[in-house]
Amino acid sequence: MSEPASNVLDVYRQEAGLSQGELWLRYFELGGMSTGFELEAYLFGMLLPSDHDHDVIAHALNERFSELGGDHPVAYLGEADDA
Amino acid sequence: MQWAAQAGFEREGQADACAMSLNGGPPDIGPAADSPAGESRVNHVVNEEVPQTALTGLLDAAIDRQRATAVLDLSAHSLKRTGTVTDARDAEERLASFGVTLTDRFPTHLVLGLLDLIEMDHDVPSPVGVDEDSRQAALRSRGGVAEHPTNRDGALPARRKVTALPTDPDVVDGVLRLVAEMARALVHGADGVSVSLLRHGRLSTVAATDHTIMEMDADQYATGEGPCVDASIKGRRFHSAVLDDETRWPAFTPQARKLGINAIMSSPLRAFDQPVGALNIYSRSCLAFDAADQATATDLAHKASVILSDAGAGVNDDQMALRFHDALLGRRMITLAIGVVMEREGVGEDAAFNSLLRLALYHGETLRGRAEIMVRSSSEHQGQSGSGSGV
Repeated sequence: MSEPASNVLDVYRQEAGLSQGELWLRYFELGGMSTGFELEAYLFGMLLPSDHDHDVIAHALNERFSELGGDHPVAYLGEADDA
Repeated sequence: MQWAAQAGFEREGQADACAMSLNGGPPDIGPAADSPAGESRVNHVVNEEVPQTALTGLLDAAIDRQRATAVLDLSAHSLKRTGTVTDARDAEERLASFGVTLTDRFPTHLVLGLLDLIEMDHDVPSPVGVDEDSRQAALRSRGGVAEHPTNRDGALPARRKVTALPTDPDVVDGVLRLVAEMARALVHGADGVSVSLLRHGRLSTVAATDHTIMEMDADQYATGEGPCVDASIKGRRFHSAVLDDETRWPAFTPQARKLGINAIMSSPLRAFDQPVGALNIYSRSCLAFDAADQATATDLAHKASVILSDAGAGVNDDQMALRFHDALLGRRMITLAIGVVMEREGVGEDAAFNSLLRLALYHGETLRGRAEIMVRSSSEHQGQSGSGSGV
């Protein structure tokens, strides 16, 4: 995890218009294993997610942005961006 | 109702705090019992009816003491007095003009969402010197914190943060009352605003700016028709610019006209993507709501919907179970697809996830959609192999 602790993910969450509960459900659907409390800590930069967890969260947010007609603004840390 | 606010003023790490609880009585200046050594604290106690006065006195102290940072803690605020958040915002502007940065701490994200609403028509100056230690302490205690986070690439407006998950209906109703007041203030031509919410399968008005509006909503519930009812059930905006020309609600429209209403705009509220209510804006003037007003109403309704989702408002157990069941199905499909990739490519789970994700992004599909294709393809392939081996 190279990105410094920050609340960037939560800023994206707010932009996507997702509640924390809804984001967790989407993250869970994509295979995320962390609890809602841990996810909240990731969002606020209080805990650093693994690269894999970060990418699952990023993709949950990006799919929401796609639903809203946007692109995928949240960067991935793994190899997904090579696509 | 009482609410308490605490404000601390910090200057280059020097502890010098000022606490204020708004529950009646004169200011009381003295050391706080729980303050670090050397810290002085002003307990400013006033009646709830005059919180602006109390806040003003507190801010005067901050300015007089030339503090660089002020922290306003509304941790006990029940949100039943809607003017308080507006007062806080005014205080923030006033402090900013004196070069003092205000960091607001709140108990729930509801207040923060509301502050976002307030910021709709104003750019709050980006502050500096956020009290990071206090922020983290508040997060650790899950007491909640409001702040101006670092802007992403400088592109986003200053926002405050949220932590707690409120479910108390009283708190939610308090927030919705504030939303109604904001809509009346921000939407030009609005003479009255209400918020309808589905609870236990029934629509009811949980916030209204006056009794006429309550009557308007009650008429709609009684007749079973009207923009409020339609927006709440159908989940889209209903706008009647000239009620005299309105034909969609023959039972309701004459009653609205009798109450002097000539235009109505109802914007849907959603929780977990399900319609759960409506933000209803009424006007005595025809053609009262232009495109900008409609956009403002939509924005307010959207933000209120996020708040309602956070609070789980309007979502019954069956709906929640259904949503969770669907998420489980999606998770199962994705897990199966990851297994297929692991077998095909001889890679680990994370690498298989990345591979699946790359495919989904490449094809412009959802991860679940790509997983379904992959699993179906694998099943068909195995079916063909089985048939072949049987021949």
